[in-house]
Amino acid sequence: MPPFDLVTPRSVEEAIAALRAFPPDEVAVLAGGTDLLLDLEGERADPRAVVSLRKLPWRTLDWNLGALTVGSTLSLRALETDPELPNRLPALHDAVRAIGGIALRNRATVGGNLGRSAPASDLIPVLLVLDAEVDLVGPDGERRMSVDRFVLGSRRTALGRAELIRSIRIPEARPSAYLWQRVRPANDISQVAVAVAFSPAHRSWRVALGGVPPRPTRVPEAEAALAGARPSASALADAGARLARHEALVTDRRATDEYRRTVASVLFARAVRATIVREGGPG
Amino acid sequence: MTSPRLAVTVNGRPYFLDGVPGEERLLDTLRWRLGLKGTKEGCRTGGCGACTVLVGGASVLSCLTFSHEVDGEEVTTIEAVGADPIGRHVQEAFRSAGALQCGYCTPGFVMALTARLKVDGRAVPVEGLLEGLGENLCRCTGYAAIARAVAEAHRRVNE
Ligand SMILES: Cc1cc2nc3c(=O)[nH]c(=O)nc-3n(C[C@H](O)[C@H](O)[C@H](O)COP(=O)(O)OP(=O)(O)OC[C@H]3O[C@@H](n4cnc5c(N)ncnc54)[C@H](O)[C@@H]3O)c2cc1C
Ligand code: FES
Ligand code: FES
Repeated sequence: MPPFDLVTPRSVEEAIAALRAFPPDEVAVLAGGTDLLLDLEGERADPRAVVSLRKLPWRTLDWNLGALTVGSTLSLRALETDPELPNRLPALHDAVRAIGGIALRNRATVGGNLGRSAPASDLIPVLLVLDAEVDLVGPDGERRMSVDRFVLGSRRTALGRAELIRSIRIPEARPSAYLWQRVRPANDISQVAVAVAFSPAHRSWRVALGGVPPRPTRVPEAEAALAGARPSASALADAGARLARHEALVTDRRATDEYRRTVASVLFARAVRATIVREGGPG
Repeated sequence: MTSPRLAVTVNGRPYFLDGVPGEERLLDTLRWRLGLKGTKEGCRTGGCGACTVLVGGASVLSCLTFSHEVDGEEVTTIEAVGADPIGRHVQEAFRSAGALQCGYCTPGFVMALTARLKVDGRAVPVEGLLEGLGENLCRCTGYAAIARAVAEAHRRVNE
């Protein structure tokens, strides 16, 4: 691994100043490091300085005002073991547990998963269907944007220069489900994944695909076809067929397009049924 | 810029290490600076669990952790896990179940299982313990014996 200076600021202001001190491609942000180390090792990044977020006060978790707010440096394990999570945001609970193993999740963070913005991220599809937002802080102050706008592609986000993810805000009271397919159940990456949520307030569905390049994506065609809290069998089949035709379901080294299309439609039907059950009624 | 001094407690002993570069990993500090070769390097990419150690009691992949990130923390490696009553049970369970062939993966399994039993308590069922070892690979594929060792460790700590 090429050498660099590891800087450990004690405050948010110090962290932003440390980031501003270098041209953008000569400095990197370190949270859990489970993605960054591999990027440094593979020389996809070659910074002179690495800024650690370890001492920032962002390892937080709050249920408040109908939403869960998670600080960016909270470990995935701390999120997963929150006693409220399985009941209040079941799809997020399922997605977090799909990531790596316990030792990885003890260090890997929520902000790091968004910062890496991987096509196979297990968190992003769920954050998309729950209409989650990210709170950013940088030299020009704070701003908030939807996860959908934040995630641009693999290793590409809307983060500006010297800007950091401070927290992620996830509205609750929305039945949801997340299902994935991978070669090995443990410590492997999703080949394809489906997140589904129903918003009782809007009486509308959200559907997202994961495990697909260039980034997890909402599937409005399938959302529209579902229409209503209790979609009929034919509406469900129609929505599944639309989902399976999505252009993101391509062939790459993890799976063929045919495999992805078939599995996506099966996962989708299961996820919708699970969401209906969670909403409290027989389907 | 020179690296700051790294202060870390390993297996109960305090160390003050100068000249540890920012890019050095905990795995390498343990093995090459401190001579604690019990922690193994399998893949160096987070894919095998052989390098698992405890940081503040929680399992961590030492190949994916920069050493300076554990400044001020307590690290426990396989060399000292037997000093802990639960760690001792886990080691005995692996021994009595004959749960090793070449033994390369064993320190990682022992550390991961010890952390799980210590952090999440005795209430975790055997299946939950096995599932929690999903990121630990055994190249000799002695998984049946490892599963017996896990059940045996569960029995011992619940006795
Ligand atoms: C063996 C293995 C298995 C894995 N399995 C999965 C899986 O199944 N599913 C999955 O989704 N991921 C998986 N990952 C990827 C990774 O563990 C996760 O993406 C993790 O959440 C990254 O978090 P981190 O804190 O380690 O990120 P880091 O490596 O610290 O950071 C990742 C990126 O985000 C940036 N960043 C981090 N925090 C911030 C912040 N607060 N503000 C701005 N930028 C920031 C960093 O600069 C870097 O570019 C796996 C990784 C490994 C090694
Ligand atoms: S050497 Fe660390 S996980 Fe394989
Ligand atoms: S006993 Fe040889 S790798 Fe597990």
